Amino acid sequence: MTHREPPRAGARELGIDAGAFVAAFTASPTPMVLTDPHQPDNPIIWANDAFLALTGYAWEEIDGRNCRLLQGPGTDPHAVQRLREAVSVGRPIEIELINYRKDGSSFWNGMTVAPVRDATGRIMHFYSAQADMTGKYRHEVAMKDAKDELERRVSEQTAHLRAALEQKTALLHEVDHRVKNNLQVISSLMLLKARRTPQGEARDALQGMAERIGALSTVHRMLYSAGDVTRFDLREFAEDFVSELVAGLESDRTAVSAEFDSIAVSAAMAAPLALMLHELATNAVRHAFPDSRPGRVTITAQRSDQSLRMLIEDDGVGMACGVPNPAGFGRSLVEMVVRQLRGVIAWSDVSPGTRVEITVPLDAISLQSALAERAGGAEWAAR
Amino acid sequence: MTTSALRILVVEDEVLIALELECLLDDLGHEIVGVAGSSAEAIALGLSTAPDVAFVDIHLVDGPTGVEVARALSADPHTTVVFMTANAKRIPDDFAGALGVIAKPYSERVVAGALRYVADRRAGLAVTLEGLDGFRLAARPDEPDARFSPR
Repeated sequence: MTHREPPRAGARELGIDAGAFVAAFTASPTPMVLTDPHQPDNPIIWANDAFLALTGYAWEEIDGRNCRLLQGPGTDPHAVQRLREAVSVGRPIEIELINYRKDGSSFWNGMTVAPVRDATGRIMHFYSAQADMTGKYRHEVAMKDAKDELERRVSEQTAHLRAALEQKTALLHEVDHRVKNNLQVISSLMLLKARRTPQGEARDALQGMAERIGALSTVHRMLYSAGDVTRFDLREFAEDFVSELVAGLESDRTAVSAEFDSIAVSAAMAAPLALMLHELATNAVRHAFPDSRPGRVTITAQRSDQSLRMLIEDDGVGMACGVPNPAGFGRSLVEMVVRQLRGVIAWSDVSPGTRVEITVPLDAISLQSALAERAGGAEWAAR
Repeated sequence: MTTSALRILVVEDEVLIALELECLLDDLGHEIVGVAGSSAEAIALGLSTAPDVAFVDIHLVDGPTGVEVARALSADPHTTVVFMTANAKRIPDDFAGALGVIAKPYSERVVAGALRYVADRRAGLAVTLEGLDGFRLAARPDEPDARFSPR
């Protein structure tokens, strides 16, 4: 590529006839052209067939013309300027620019232009070899188009996904709102009917149902307000639930205390657990202390490795002496819920009082959130 | 018990909820000055009755217009507005002039507790929200009450 140094040995010294070069260049598939800077306007004085084929001109049409006849409106004037400067100082140059064929069609011409010097170093000619780079440029343009298209599709997809997520979030809010509102309606319905029912068994049953719905309502309120719809803090529930329980007591002869570990359970476990705790605690408060007997109800919940252990204890009259609930509804409700949670329940008469112990296995989501907490209090458990 | 009878306007489009709430408020010794199911009704009743307290649901017969209602009713400094909604996410950051929100589904205890809080506050007494998980105050960093707003 460097034509600056004259060849160390001339063709003649190598024993090659100058005619061999002419023959080789003439037959070369690489388009080539030679100009004469000693004539006005540096005209073309020789070109090979490949050059004529590339440009579409006949030899008579370019003989004696300056190479700029290949330039046109798409040719970068800065590139032309650089080329002109290189030629004027006799410096070789490689450059790519848009040239035009005789028929007006354009192509990217990647050319090298170099001075040809004689033995004394004087510039005799300028030699130029061309290559049609249109394919390379077309490829680059195609790559860029493909990349733009890909980016467009990705951003389109992202927009779709974002819209879908927004829709999903809006739907969740809507459903959450409806669930809560319906719970309020159901609760109001029960309480309204209770108010219009004379005191007695029917009224107590309606009140009891309203309270059970209240326990479920508390779960729903807490479940969605924290922003995490998959987990539920049992301790938070217990605090609220004990406040409700104590507020419902007619006197302060009964003390209720709850000691809960901070246990995150899955949303699926939340409602049954809440219902069960409500049933057991309410039952203890209502039935363990007849005839103004003072006493204490203690509720504890602990997490052991894979399970949740709950204890409801009172120092009341015990199951044997208690007024048996005619339908035994509370007890069977508790046993159903424990079965649903695949747990075990043990009722025992301790003197004084009753002790109920429940152990339920934690499900995968609850265990996962427990792991996440242990790992350093991550707020969100992986789903 | 420091609670004196409050004059209360109930803005709620769900008839059953409104009726039960009326009974509850009556049990608690308060006076219901009106029940409104739409925003226009609520604003008109607000003007004609000048209630002490207004419980305002977000979703009314004419859409999620409870926010507007809260803004209109709280324009009267005499009226304390409390949202009562299952859709607390719709409440704007400034709470539209309301004191706070009772989350639905609520329990009677929380409604009673919230009213006690409002009455004590109106009487200039020291107030606390201890144990009222279902009642949340608007965040107002410039007022001392901000320390009571949970989380």
